[in-house]
Amino acid sequence: MIIYLFSLLSPTHEIAAYLDPGSGSFLLQLLIGGIVGGLLILKTFWGRLRLFFLNLMGKTPVAVEETDEDTP
Amino acid sequence: MKNALDNRLPASFRDPSGFLFWGEDGRLFRQINTHYQEPYDQLMISGLYTALVKEKRLIPHQEVNAAPAEPERAYKVIEPERISFISYPYEWSFSQLKDAALTTLAIQQRAFEFGMSLKDASAFNIQFHQGRPLLIDTLSFEPYQEGLPWVAYRQFCRHFLAPLALMAHRDIALGQLFKSYIDGIPLGLTSTFLPWRTRLSFGLLSHIHLHASAERRYAGVNVKEQAATRSMGRNSFLGLIDNLASTVKKLNWKAGGTAWAEYESDHNYTAAAMSQKVAFVRQFLEAADPVVVWDLGANTGRFSRLASQKGIETLSFDMDPAAVERNYLRMRSEKDTRLLPLLLDLTNPTPAIGWRNAERDSLLERASADTILALALVHHLAITNNLPLSQIADFLACLGETLIIEFVPKEDSQVQRLLAAREDIFPDYTQAGFEAAFGGYFQIEEAVPIPDTVRTLYLMRRGAG
Repeated sequence: MIIYLFSLLSPTHEIAAYLDPGSGSFLLQLLIGGIVGGLLILKTFWGRLRLFFLNLMGKTPVAVEETDEDTP
Repeated sequence: MKNALDNRLPASFRDPSGFLFWGEDGRLFRQINTHYQEPYDQLMISGLYTALVKEKRLIPHQEVNAAPAEPERAYKVIEPERISFISYPYEWSFSQLKDAALTTLAIQQRAFEFGMSLKDASAFNIQFHQGRPLLIDTLSFEPYQEGLPWVAYRQFCRHFLAPLALMAHRDIALGQLFKSYIDGIPLGLTSTFLPWRTRLSFGLLSHIHLHASAERRYAGVNVKEQAATRSMGRNSFLGLIDNLASTVKKLNWKAGGTAWAEYESDHNYTAAAMSQKVAFVRQFLEAADPVVVWDLGANTGRFSRLASQKGIETLSFDMDPAAVERNYLRMRSEKDTRLLPLLLDLTNPTPAIGWRNAERDSLLERASADTILALALVHHLAITNNLPLSQIADFLACLGETLIIEFVPKEDSQVQRLLAAREDIFPDYTQAGFEAAFGGYFQIEEAVPIPDTVRTLYLMRRGAG
């Protein structure tokens, strides 16, 4: 996950959006990108691990990841 | 005053990708500018449009041959499905805003699967349509550019996360700050208002508190240089959206404790009287036969449902955030597609705000109803707010053609309670005074006393009696 933190890419990115992303908001994302990316990997891994053990115990998994009940 | 420059919608000016305009026959169109040709084609060809419309998360549209409003810049003209009532985030309950936030993030996640991304995350782009929040701006998508952070991150935090966090962790009333800050609540202000303990949540620490500090510290820094050397990978991008969704899901507010939240179980109706009142309202609704009903002072929407369950499009307004929240949660669980609960203080209705005072319309500019329900309301307007009965009648006559209204006289215990601590300066607040005042604006078609109470229910039609 740390690979993503401040990783270097050769091409120059053109910012053509009509919204001002905000300098601080832009830089903060680069700063926390590695952490939130890592959290997502852990979450996915944990979900798969849980699914593996549930299958091993012969239980039907109800929901592997977060339930979608809050998502309209 | 409306923008007199052309037939564009006054709110449709920020994004050079296109704009909404009125056709001569009253149809609403969206011009897509040549500038946006590539992203629009990608949206349509990639399958993203079809997927989102199927999931009822994006407004469906038709490409039409209508004349564009600015032909020299036009690529296409589309006609989006019409939304019956445009509501604003400061009129939504906590869970309505939360659902709108989660819908925005779910759309972003879906867009990512098709190689696209949201270029804005405005709460005004979400509308409640047939009981569900959906994105109404077809031009909100752009091709995902690997390496770039999410351009709409700050807007999402200001429009959704900041008001939700303030409502959940400080005070539900702070959602109304959105009315003063049309581009969302500033993060510095949000950070100041939030309790210190919110720094213990990674999501709120990052997306609000550190975000506010970063805004202050790096204001004016040229990020183009940073973007040339640093990048945000796909997993980080997805991680950010996932973390925002987790942070939003953890924000909760339990409706209760406000002045009206317990009203429905605290009123002075017997079961028989209530059942008779329900029967009368149902009968008057049959007689009025409306297409659109506005229920004013609806509380948790008990009487609104008499209309919505008949398939009538019903707006259910109340000034109490807890009542609107309960109303919305029930509407959502019952999958009522005809009901829309909204927050509204009738004595201070939603004003027009934004550029030229025309970007977001006032309540009265947006629509009106066929039938107005005003049950157990008039005494609050007349006595709590000192509003003369003739002014109330005039206002209600502006809103709807027919009126189902309950008169609550001074003998009623609820009115006695309102008068308990103040002088009775309302000599005209009598049944005869009520009928005289409303008779100046309406014809009284029916008047029925509600058994076991001192109240009377009226059916009136606009036009001097």
